[in-house]
Amino acid sequence: MSRSALILTRLALLAMVLAAWEWLPRWAVVNAALLPPLSDVLAMFVTILGRSQVQEAIAVTAGEVALAFMFAVPIGAGAGVLVAESQYFGQIFRPMLFYVFSIPKSIFLPMFILVFGIGFEQKVAYATFSTVFIVIMSAAAAVESVKADHVLVARSYGATRIQVVRRVYVPSMLPFLLETLRISMIFNLTGVMIAEMYASRSGIGQLIASWGENFQMPQLFAGVVLLAGAAIAFNETVRWLEAQCSAWRT
Amino acid sequence: MQRVANLSEPGAKEAQAAAIEVAELSHVYQGREGKVPALEGISLDVVAGRFVVIVGPSGCGKTSLLMMMAGLRRPTTGTILCAGRPIDVPDPDRIGVVFQEASLFPWLTALENIEFPLSIRGAPRLERRGRADAMLNLVGLAGFGARYPHELSGGMKQRVSIARGLVQDPPVLLMDEPFAALDEQTRMTMGHELLRIWSQTNKTVVFVTHSLTEAVYLADEVLVMSPRPGRIIDRAEVTLPRPRTYEMMATDVFGRLRERIWQNIRKVT
Amino acid sequence: MRPAPATVRRLLLALLLLLWELVPRLGLLPELFLPSLSRTLGVLVHNWVEYGHALAVTLYEVVLAMLIACGAGILIGAVVGGLSRVRQLLLPVFSSLYAVPIVILYPIFTAWLGVGSQSKIAFAGVYGFFPVVLSTAAGMQSIDQNFLVAARSMGASLPQQITRVVIPASMPTVLAGLRLGGALAIIGVIVSEMLTAAAGIGYLVSKYRTVLDSPRVFAAILMILALSVLFDALARSLERRALAWQTAGRRDRGLPVDKETYASATLPA
Repeated sequence: MSRSALILTRLALLAMVLAAWEWLPRWAVVNAALLPPLSDVLAMFVTILGRSQVQEAIAVTAGEVALAFMFAVPIGAGAGVLVAESQYFGQIFRPMLFYVFSIPKSIFLPMFILVFGIGFEQKVAYATFSTVFIVIMSAAAAVESVKADHVLVARSYGATRIQVVRRVYVPSMLPFLLETLRISMIFNLTGVMIAEMYASRSGIGQLIASWGENFQMPQLFAGVVLLAGAAIAFNETVRWLEAQCSAWRT
Repeated sequence: MQRVANLSEPGAKEAQAAAIEVAELSHVYQGREGKVPALEGISLDVVAGRFVVIVGPSGCGKTSLLMMMAGLRRPTTGTILCAGRPIDVPDPDRIGVVFQEASLFPWLTALENIEFPLSIRGAPRLERRGRADAMLNLVGLAGFGARYPHELSGGMKQRVSIARGLVQDPPVLLMDEPFAALDEQTRMTMGHELLRIWSQTNKTVVFVTHSLTEAVYLADEVLVMSPRPGRIIDRAEVTLPRPRTYEMMATDVFGRLRERIWQNIRKVT
Repeated sequence: MRPAPATVRRLLLALLLLLWELVPRLGLLPELFLPSLSRTLGVLVHNWVEYGHALAVTLYEVVLAMLIACGAGILIGAVVGGLSRVRQLLLPVFSSLYAVPIVILYPIFTAWLGVGSQSKIAFAGVYGFFPVVLSTAAGMQSIDQNFLVAARSMGASLPQQITRVVIPASMPTVLAGLRLGGALAIIGVIVSEMLTAAAGIGYLVSKYRTVLDSPRVFAAILMILALSVLFDALARSLERRALAWQTAGRRDRGLPVDKETYASATLPA
């Protein structure tokens, strides 16, 4: 399929989904109390953005996401480089990392709550914990992606250590690093949401949970749309950046 | 051992009958920027029992031609007959195929891989086993039947692939650069082995390669193809006696044949 | 000489368990934050009826969620991966949607399906669905096309190509999808039980947290840890056993033996 045909088909599919969302509740095929029509949701979306309570919640969530990210990435990257560069450490910790991924990290929320309470710090701490492992794995993969051959070629031409880092490692790793950021942010956002929905007095997650509890469906859907939109926007931006840096990759 | 049929012998006419006849075959395919002529006006007859090699530069369409002979692809125009009947779908009773990538199924043992064509035909177990074992012995891998492909070397995998192509006893064997992925020494050994297997089984072989040395060493007749659109630009009879030996590669005859083929290719590239 | 990595791992684990026991006992951390291991185990043993019942509820939800996530996920993933038009169309859409924290949809599920098991099953099913689709689609693409050409050349019909080639070749992907889907189903069920529920192990975590009964909370946490680690170990051993040929096959083709790239460790919770 040609590019334009693909895009058109996807837009057509999207239009169908949106149309269903609008008309199925309106025609009472689906209970409108459970699934508010799209236009209602969008109207509510605009409304809630105007409310100070919601604006504060967005600010709180954004702050938690940013801070957790700023903690998790350096820690994870450092550990990841260690795992990649040291055969020994890698062999010890890699299998453990895989098990870590299958454990529901949310079970540690009570521990974080006991130590930090249910405020801002707890959510940042939990999200950091939630994210650090994927950063480790991604960073390790990024380091490993630099082909030893390329380093060898550079060295054989007399490149200094710094030159090797700048001219071989960085360009090789750049797409992987962006990929790391992208995937880590997904985990980060999930962590923050879980913490906010579980036990929190602020943040978008808490609002969504409370709207759900009170059966305020239009608000609930509006909140979901808000968060989903932000997540997808960030994701696609980083993906676009990756594509810019990766023209040389297959 | 004389491989060229003697016309004065009774039954020589049948013996000389073409195993494969290709008539006026052309092929055009749809590329990114329009139609691409891949093959043009190919006509050739492969006499039964002969070892014919098709040689040509990369992209000349020799693999496509072989795929069409195998019934895996349809030409735009032209016909292919095998034993007098057209080939338009794969027919393992008439034609066995050996690919460059051995394409052995990694989840089956060597023996099971060889049995595969028989098992999809529903042949009974004992018969399958018997034939597969016989083929395994023929290609010199007796005792390796229970090994999985990942336990076999490149040369051994190709032997299994050859055994698989022969297991239904087709009169014709098509081989698409089967030794291209092997190192040179293994290639030479495998070429030698192939000639031995061929002499023991009386098949007609159509062998595609881009190696001139391999072509002259193995063939009764070498067909030279031009680059795209592929046409047959030369037919060279290889008059070296059989069984072929490595020493023959150093003879004048060998060298001149190679040179002739090389010059023909150079003229059109 | 350094000790073997496996040994170091076991030592670390033992050390962790030891710390779990000693740190609270020695008063380094209050029992409220970390009840000792023996206390926790004691609670489990004494209240095995309550915890056993909760486990049963959770397992029931996990199994059904797994059916959805893996059943639908593998099927649709196979379709998306196998049909290039569909793949081109939908794969980018699926991977964009993957960026959204699915957990925010959970309140919708509770509003629609209530606080009982249905909402957990539906939510966890959806939770596992997208990653399984993505993983299966990627796996389908990695199947060597040459296998199908070889099968066709041996006269395999389309149904035979599917049953004798596509299915065995896709076994590694399917088993990986099962492991992924199962792990995600467990995570999805636990998260949803912790958030809004009336039964299940996750619910026990929340219930006892609100009354600050740490030993009971940690007993539930321990149970969940055991469940997920056990499932993972079982799923991996099943994969290893069924696919001894596959690791080697990947080694042959120069692909990374360790299939777990970070992108496939797609478990955001």
